[in-house]
Amino acid sequence: MTQAIHIDNEDWLSGIRSFLATVMDKTGIDAMLVPTRLAVKNRIMPMLVSDPARLAQADPLSPAFPVNGAKQLARLTRLPAGGKLAAVLRPCEIRAFNELVKLNQGKRDDVVIVGIDCPGALSNTDFRAFADRHETIDAATQAFCATAFSGGPVDEAAAFTSACRACNHPTPDGADIAVELFGTDPTHGLTARARTEMGEAVLAGLDLPPAEAVLPQRKTALTETLDRRRQYRKQMFASVAGATDTIRGLSAYLADCVNCYNCRAACPVCYCTTCVFTTDTFRHEPFQYLQWARRKGGVKMPTDTLFFHLTRMAHMSTACVGCGQCTNACPNDIPLSDLFSLVGHHTQEAFGYVAGLDLSQRPPMCGFEKEEYGEVVGI
Amino acid sequence: MDRKIGSALVAGAGISGIRASIDLAQMGYRVTLIDRAPHMGGILSQLDYQFPTDRCGMCRMLPMLDRDAGIQTCLRKGLFHENIDVLLGTTLAAVEGEPGRFEVALNQAPSPIDPDRCIGCGQCSDACPVSVPDAFNAGLTPRKAVYLPVPHNIPNTYTIDPAACTRCGACEPVCPTSAIRLSAMGRQAFRILVVDDESIIRQSLDAWLGDEEGYTVETAASGPEALEKLAATPFHLMLLDIKMPGMDGVTVLEKARIIRPSLNVLMMTAYATVETAVDAMKIGAMDYLIKPFEPESLIPKVAAAYEALQKTAYRRQTVGAIVLATGTTCFDPSVGKNPMGYGIVPHVVTSLAFERMLSGTGPDGGRLLRPSDKRPVKKAAWIQCVGSRDLQTGADFCSTACCMFALKEAAVARRVAGDDFQATIIYMDLRTFGKNFERYGQQTTSTEGIRLERGRVHSIVPTPGSGDVTIRWTSASGKIREECFDLVVLSIGQRANPHTTALAEGLGIDTDGFGFVKTAPFSDTRTLRGGIFAGGTLTGPTDIAESVIRASSAAVNASRTIHRAGGGLAEKADDLVSCRDVACEPPRILAVLCRCENNPEYEKALDVLSARLQQDPAVARVKILDRICTAQGWDSLKETVSATVNRVLVGACRTFIYGKKTRGLAAAFGLDPVLMEAVAMDHHQGLAAPATVAAIMAGLSRLKNVSMEKDQGIAVVNRALVVGGGIAGMSAALAIADHGVDVTLVEASDRLGGNLAWLHQTIDGTPIAPFLEDIIGQIEKHPKIEVMINSRVVGAFGQAGHFFSTIETAGEPTTTAEHGAVILATGGGEAPTDEYGYGTSEAVVTQKELETRIHEGRLDTDGITAVAMIQCVGSREEPRNYCSRVCCPTALKQALWLKSRKPDLQVYILYRDMMTCGLSEAWYTEARRQGILFFQYRPDRKPEVRITADEAAPVSVRLHDPILDAPVEIAADLLVLATGIQPRLPETLALAYGAERDRDGFFLEADSKWRPVEALKAGVFGCGIVLSPRSIAEAVATAEAAAGRALAILTADRLPAARTTAIVRHSLCTLCLRCIETCPYDARFLDDTGQRVLVNPAMCQGCGDCATVCPNSAAIVEGFTHRSMFGAIEGAMAV
Repeated sequence: MTQAIHIDNEDWLSGIRSFLATVMDKTGIDAMLVPTRLAVKNRIMPMLVSDPARLAQADPLSPAFPVNGAKQLARLTRLPAGGKLAAVLRPCEIRAFNELVKLNQGKRDDVVIVGIDCPGALSNTDFRAFADRHETIDAATQAFCATAFSGGPVDEAAAFTSACRACNHPTPDGADIAVELFGTDPTHGLTARARTEMGEAVLAGLDLPPAEAVLPQRKTALTETLDRRRQYRKQMFASVAGATDTIRGLSAYLADCVNCYNCRAACPVCYCTTCVFTTDTFRHEPFQYLQWARRKGGVKMPTDTLFFHLTRMAHMSTACVGCGQCTNACPNDIPLSDLFSLVGHHTQEAFGYVAGLDLSQRPPMCGFEKEEYGEVVGI
Repeated sequence: MDRKIGSALVAGAGISGIRASIDLAQMGYRVTLIDRAPHMGGILSQLDYQFPTDRCGMCRMLPMLDRDAGIQTCLRKGLFHENIDVLLGTTLAAVEGEPGRFEVALNQAPSPIDPDRCIGCGQCSDACPVSVPDAFNAGLTPRKAVYLPVPHNIPNTYTIDPAACTRCGACEPVCPTSAIRLSAMGRQAFRILVVDDESIIRQSLDAWLGDEEGYTVETAASGPEALEKLAATPFHLMLLDIKMPGMDGVTVLEKARIIRPSLNVLMMTAYATVETAVDAMKIGAMDYLIKPFEPESLIPKVAAAYEALQKTAYRRQTVGAIVLATGTTCFDPSVGKNPMGYGIVPHVVTSLAFERMLSGTGPDGGRLLRPSDKRPVKKAAWIQCVGSRDLQTGADFCSTACCMFALKEAAVARRVAGDDFQATIIYMDLRTFGKNFERYGQQTTSTEGIRLERGRVHSIVPTPGSGDVTIRWTSASGKIREECFDLVVLSIGQRANPHTTALAEGLGIDTDGFGFVKTAPFSDTRTLRGGIFAGGTLTGPTDIAESVIRASSAAVNASRTIHRAGGGLAEKADDLVSCRDVACEPPRILAVLCRCENNPEYEKALDVLSARLQQDPAVARVKILDRICTAQGWDSLKETVSATVNRVLVGACRTFIYGKKTRGLAAAFGLDPVLMEAVAMDHHQGLAAPATVAAIMAGLSRLKNVSMEKDQGIAVVNRALVVGGGIAGMSAALAIADHGVDVTLVEASDRLGGNLAWLHQTIDGTPIAPFLEDIIGQIEKHPKIEVMINSRVVGAFGQAGHFFSTIETAGEPTTTAEHGAVILATGGGEAPTDEYGYGTSEAVVTQKELETRIHEGRLDTDGITAVAMIQCVGSREEPRNYCSRVCCPTALKQALWLKSRKPDLQVYILYRDMMTCGLSEAWYTEARRQGILFFQYRPDRKPEVRITADEAAPVSVRLHDPILDAPVEIAADLLVLATGIQPRLPETLALAYGAERDRDGFFLEADSKWRPVEALKAGVFGCGIVLSPRSIAEAVATAEAAAGRALAILTADRLPAARTTAIVRHSLCTLCLRCIETCPYDARFLDDTGQRVLVNPAMCQGCGDCATVCPNSAAIVEGFTHRSMFGAIEGAMAV
């Protein structure tokens, strides 16, 4: 039984690529979902790779985080795909995928999930600028890796997103195989550790040397990172709570919203095929708009903005993994993720639930409880 | 389908009558439900809290299938079902005819208040000068002669207590709707014309009959004057003098009979003209009186005429069968020697009064205060068995409910009065005999502040120097104890209802010495007259759950009678009223607002409301009509019928909403009733109140968005599967098959009979074998029953209406049965034990083994001199922490049998609490009379058993006797252990049908009180000892109850879906399946492809749990779509 292996290579990027290629080759993986450089431009997107040669362009270490891959993986695993799959995901993508699995939107049975320690990512705007400042995308990634895992700033001009700075789960605990980077030296090679029986089986078949025990530097780096994030998170929660503790405050927070619903489209756990806000339900009768206008002297159009966000909070805050894609997707720079993380934190705490961490923990509200929250419902 | 119609009468609208009525109505019968009282609910209308939830929960009895046939509202407020006619203030006067066709006469007290007009404003009550104790609050509060019988009825109509009313007339003029007509009440409605030329006679008759007797009396001094009066107004009786100047009496009689042919005439004659009087009788006078006469000779004749008239007003109808459920009354502790000082010592109340003291509608709004000085009660004592188990008050029976009642009251009192409340229950045996009672009792009494004291009360006296009460009692050890309490609660027992005893006599059904109705052997509900069945406490005191079971059993037996007599089950389908198809039309709503006050404020509110309604383009017209509750108003409403509108909104009183009027209105408009929306405009709130306006706007919104699609319901397989061929399974199978429904009866062993096969006789000596043979014979020759022995159900799926079960039979190929409902009757058996030396000696046997030895003639009574019995072996303590209920009567049965065989045999019974509930208490009394010795032991000090080498006395039992406070040693030839009953319900079998088991492995019922024989999942029932330990008659009652409940499904072709059910919009559904997980009724499931979520519309109760977990409205509840809800919210917000 192999629990961890060592990948020796001159740099992490080539180490990862060769590791993924080995996994694909030795384990009989038909296709792998992995962030990969586009052929047409210096950009990175999740790609379903079936040709191992294409893994030479794979780049799961880049700070690019254009979409949350959980939703893409759900599309691939919802029903049998007719082949064996692997996916390389960030920790927040794995958590989001686990939520989708609980909601019957995807399955983990036929997919090997490789997770990689995540120091954080850049917003799409920041990443484009960051990538454009480097000759090649590989060079950009190398530059990023040089500092990211030791906790230093990435680049003078680009900072991790607020969601990443507040993230308290930077390691891929829910993966089948976890690639450990925190506290290690890029020249020192990589450690891949099995976290599930499926992961163990995969590693055992790779014919690679076993890894050393967990490095003490890793623990130190993680502790420091988490301390820093907790502090940021606390401040962020305090400031968002202060700004949104009244309906007026909340409305002001969301004042720039134009009901484009991009946040919902980007949200990995917003799993409805058709959102109720885009159905007939919210195409009110003309008489209704007139009534609203009459009652208050005027009504903002489009209507139901606050309602939309509140509904999304009600529906998704128990499943929110704090990946930050809602903020990333907002064309009007509303810090939605800060707000949703705060609300998600409180609703999940109320049900003793943490989104995405434990596959066996049923989502809140799934079962009928005769007696719960007596103090709220009054019986 | 053209089916014959059946109908039934249910007398008594308490909990049992309600249960029986709902059962019969659900089976499709027309039910007339009557009650003597002016309100529904019987004693339960006074009880707010029920064990084990310490809440009410009566509404759980409402039909779950075909919900739309009734109105889903609090059952304490009223029962509204299209098949049930409720007649209050009505008694059963006479029954003639045969089972299947009884002619019944119902005596309906004329109501001086028109319920259609009374709006419940209470002005009459304010005006009434009379004050009497309010029976509803057990006399703790006063009420007026015109009053609300209970505070919670819908509609809450005032009524007049004829015994208290002085006929002063103060209420009549203040009624804003002219609903009161005192003259319609009782004797006042009986009009007498006194005709005599002597004014002294006229005056004295007026005084006797009018002022004293309460009739309406008018007088005439001569024949012509009398005829004039007769022509002007009708009279019921004329007292006519024969010898009058001018026109004589006989002439008046002749002329009067032309004007009023049916008039009763009583001739008054002097002795000289008796012959004339006799002649007068030939031409129509009813009788004569010879002057001078005393009131004593006149008044009975008038009363007879009055009663004869009343009888002509009896409502007569034909019913197929009768269920009597008139209940019991509470023992009045003030009668007889009154040793408890009730009514004499202050602060001694009955348990019923205490219940009212706890109630929010009680004398102090739910604060626990002493009735007279209003001091908070902090320390109370309950005295059990007041009027029960008491030969001095003629009660050689246990009232069964009072122990749990006291425990519950103590628990609730502690919650109400705070943690410093102390309760002491002084009792003889704590009878926690029912399902979960033992654990409830232990949990309650383990609470600090609730204390049990075994003892008998010696005296109750006021504490000198304070308002408190001192109780002196003899404790179990014989010591006299004395303690002072704030309040003493007498746990009063049940007594046969004297009205019932009289009724039973009239009906020719026997009662026992206590007044309880006698039943056929092995039945709790069959009276000795065919076609008449008894539910509830009529056949012996019992608790709610058993009352409800008996009621259901009585209902199904009534149904069998009707069915056997050729009456059908389901009612003939209504002729389909042709409805206009308006599905594709935009809403054009007619809004009708009712006006029943004439004042500027009301007028203004109406204007504002109609202006608001008219703003909505969907509202075609707003009409304001006067008092649509009246016939005139109703006509004016019907005049608004027009084809230009396609929906109707009516804002009116509650009386309108809860009547059956919306259906009639829909027919008048030619529209589907779903397009009618009636909204209550609350008189107490006022028309301009935000709540009223919001309700109307919500109604408007619902009407605009109403869906006209109606699910076709679920096709039903008309076959029942009964699992288990014991007495319960067989009784259920017969009850179902007797209705022409197929039954598959699956029995695991190689023969039918279950536990009855080894039982010898009942406690009263009735042999069991002939009964069993008879039942098996009936099963075997029944054309509708298919018996499968050596068979087991190995798997099942499906829902109410259509289940599939896989049945494995030894040596046969596996078969699949399709059925509409399933009854689990897998029973149970004697629990095993290794205590008290069992298994080490032939001399230690279980009760079952003793029974078998007796049955097989293997017990040699000559060779033995002493038998000891230990009760509660492994029972009433974890892990089998429940009372098995049958063991105490069984021990008595064996002990009495032994005594009858060998009177000098010593029998010792070692017990914890003797659980001889109900009428079996008499056997306990008899056993003591016969010299059987009883020793009480505590679970922490159990008897010790030693097996000796002594052949003469092989068993030695040592125990500590609490009375002697000393060890006692018993040498016995035989030791009999009562190990209790354990259930036999395999978990896989329960799960296959979606039923659950409780922690002891018994069938978990949907609700222990209100739905005791069914699982929460529709179509799955349980009966017999798989529910809980019980006697044969009790097992039969549950079986019949389960059969009746199942027949509500099995006799339908389709289970209709209610309007308010959940549906799935498949195009939006993402198949996350959260709706399936959350549905508490198991009504949702995934189809065979795994790609569509489906709803069983008959099982769905419209609770909306699925709609709340579904994020994008793929799961919605009809009638509660987002749009409709938005409109309702909008309506409420806009006020």
